Amino acid sequence: MLQLNDLIRISLRQVVRQHKRYLGVLLAIALGTGLMIVIMTMGDEVKSNLNKDLDLLGGATIIKVFFEDGGADRMDRPESFRDGSVETVNALPGVNATTLVHMAGGYATFDKHDTDFIMFGVDEHYWKVNGLHQKAGELFGKEAMDKRLRVVVLGEELAMRIFGRLDVVGEWISVNRVLYLVVGLLDAGSVSERGKWGYTPLTTMMDFWPNVEPRRMYVRCNTWDDVGPVSEQVITAIRARQKADHLRVEVAWEALKHIKRIVWWVELFIYFSISATLLLGGFGIWNGMMTAVKSRTREIGLKKAMGAEDIDIMKQFIAEAVALSFFAGVLGVGLGYGGVELATWLLKSQAPQDLLYLYSLMSIIFTVLLGLGAGFFPALRASRMEVVSAIRYE
Amino acid sequence: MREPVIQVRGMTKDYSNGPQVIPILKGIDLDVYPGDMVAIMGPSGMGKSTFLFILGLLLPPSGGSYMVKGQEVAKLTRSQQAQFRRTFAGFVFQSCNLFEHTKVFENLEFPLIYAGVPRKDRAAMIDEALAKVNMMHRRNHPANRLSGGEQQRVSIARALVNRPSIIFADEPTGQLDLKHSRMVMEHFQRFVSEDKTAMVVVTHDPGVAEQCTRTLYLRDGNLYEQ
Ligand SMILES: Nc1ncnc2c1ncn2[C@@H]1O[C@H](COP(=O)(O)OP(=O)(O)O)[C@@H](O)[C@H]1O
Ligand SMILES: [Mg+2]
Repeated sequence: MLQLNDLIRISLRQVVRQHKRYLGVLLAIALGTGLMIVIMTMGDEVKSNLNKDLDLLGGATIIKVFFEDGGADRMDRPESFRDGSVETVNALPGVNATTLVHMAGGYATFDKHDTDFIMFGVDEHYWKVNGLHQKAGELFGKEAMDKRLRVVVLGEELAMRIFGRLDVVGEWISVNRVLYLVVGLLDAGSVSERGKWGYTPLTTMMDFWPNVEPRRMYVRCNTWDDVGPVSEQVITAIRARQKADHLRVEVAWEALKHIKRIVWWVELFIYFSISATLLLGGFGIWNGMMTAVKSRTREIGLKKAMGAEDIDIMKQFIAEAVALSFFAGVLGVGLGYGGVELATWLLKSQAPQDLLYLYSLMSIIFTVLLGLGAGFFPALRASRMEVVSAIRYE
Repeated sequence: MREPVIQVRGMTKDYSNGPQVIPILKGIDLDVYPGDMVAIMGPSGMGKSTFLFILGLLLPPSGGSYMVKGQEVAKLTRSQQAQFRRTFAGFVFQSCNLFEHTKVFENLEFPLIYAGVPRKDRAAMIDEALAKVNMMHRRNHPANRLSGGEQQRVSIARALVNRPSIIFADEPTGQLDLKHSRMVMEHFQRFVSEDKTAMVVVTHDPGVAEQCTRTLYLRDGNLYEQ
């Protein structure tokens, strides 16, 4: 009877010594496994990075939450977001960032010349939610909000209208007869409308404009998969804290569907490629073992002659297939680790370690099963060989 | 009273070729005692190898009785036969006896593994068998780099390693020149006489038969003394 430790030792030895014969198969399985680990581990990370980097895609993950006008017959004060709304929404799972916005008219005076424009009162999260960057200067942050600073960020088109030039950071302008420092020039990105507007801290707007009560909120989700659940939860979450009968949610469903469809195809393609690689690897093992069984016919005959039973021969070939696929799996996990490292470096993010371990373990189990499956039939065939015809085989 | 290692009575073997039944062995009687070295000669295609396979429990006979050390073995199951072979018989064939991608001592380890010999006891048994054929100096060599004669000597050592009661050899010198053929037969002789083991060797070579204790001819399905 073949002992387990002998079986393992002999099979590993056999595979190591015949590594040249199995190198292609080994690499195919390792590559497939490695890719699988990288994609499963980094999938969500990649998706959320796509969101951040591509304004086109990012737009689809932004939910607009707003109070509808009550109507002419309503006498009570219109509803608006109370303090803490942003924090409440941020606490929902899948939310990346939230911002409150208020829109008001204004006129800027520079060099005795008035320009009408629309001013946005925004908090420090506005830029992140909308994926905005500056052309020059900087986009104001928390300090400006907390200290209610009189600063303004201008769209390029607006800057041209007011100043007739773009090097305006550091200039002072008067808005509604109050002096503001121009701290930044906005890069409008793909939404050219944004270039027409000015932006000042929401708190500052509250100080200098009448009736500033934010009635509009933008919520950015981590990935497009989060948009549905978040849009369902956001109203309930706010209603739990305040009266909000006229609260509405607006989602760019069309854009979202479009993106989801593209991503679905991309994912399908990737998983298909990986499956094909692994399948090919499995077939490679099967084919390699089949050839091995044939070319080792005489060895099988001799071993049976010296007392090996059918089951011993079977075990030996299965163990070789499993050893082979196990090596491939380990190599694949190595590649996977490398791939994840590379991906985190490229995305400037962190790898979810627990996922990495989980998927690595799963991959090893999977490749072992692959070896078992692919090795079974050749092994069965080897074990069933007639001892005499195997010995007579040249 | 000496007891035979193997005792064959009225053994027959037919091969079926489609509907046609071809009798190969037609009622053979044979006793082999410890210390016997029986040469079987005869024209090729007469069934010498077939007979040897049956004696080695690798092939079932069609009829007759076959006793090994007093036990009837003709009707054992496949698995029982395998168990029997582990300690009862050692085989040496004409060529290509050694396994690919193995070293000399690893070749000798397989019979011990299948026989369930504990790992710690194996090295001593392997070395003893290798010493008997003067191959200790090649212990860690890759098997496929040995010369034909050396390979046959290792095969003999492998057949001996489990200390079997009988050795079956099918033209073991068929691929060797005169010098190496002599050497191989001398190893067999020494082993048989020292360990009181039996041996049945199929051969074409009268020189080999001369080194045996008894020579038989297989012709038309029957065994004849010289
Ligand atoms: N499995 C088989 N089925 C049918 N005929 C066989 C089979 N094996 C061997 N034979 C035939 O039996 C005869 C004896 O073969 P073999 O024992 O190898 O003879 P020898 O070893 O004396 O040359 C040959 O004619 C051979 O073709
Ligand atoms: Mg023959």
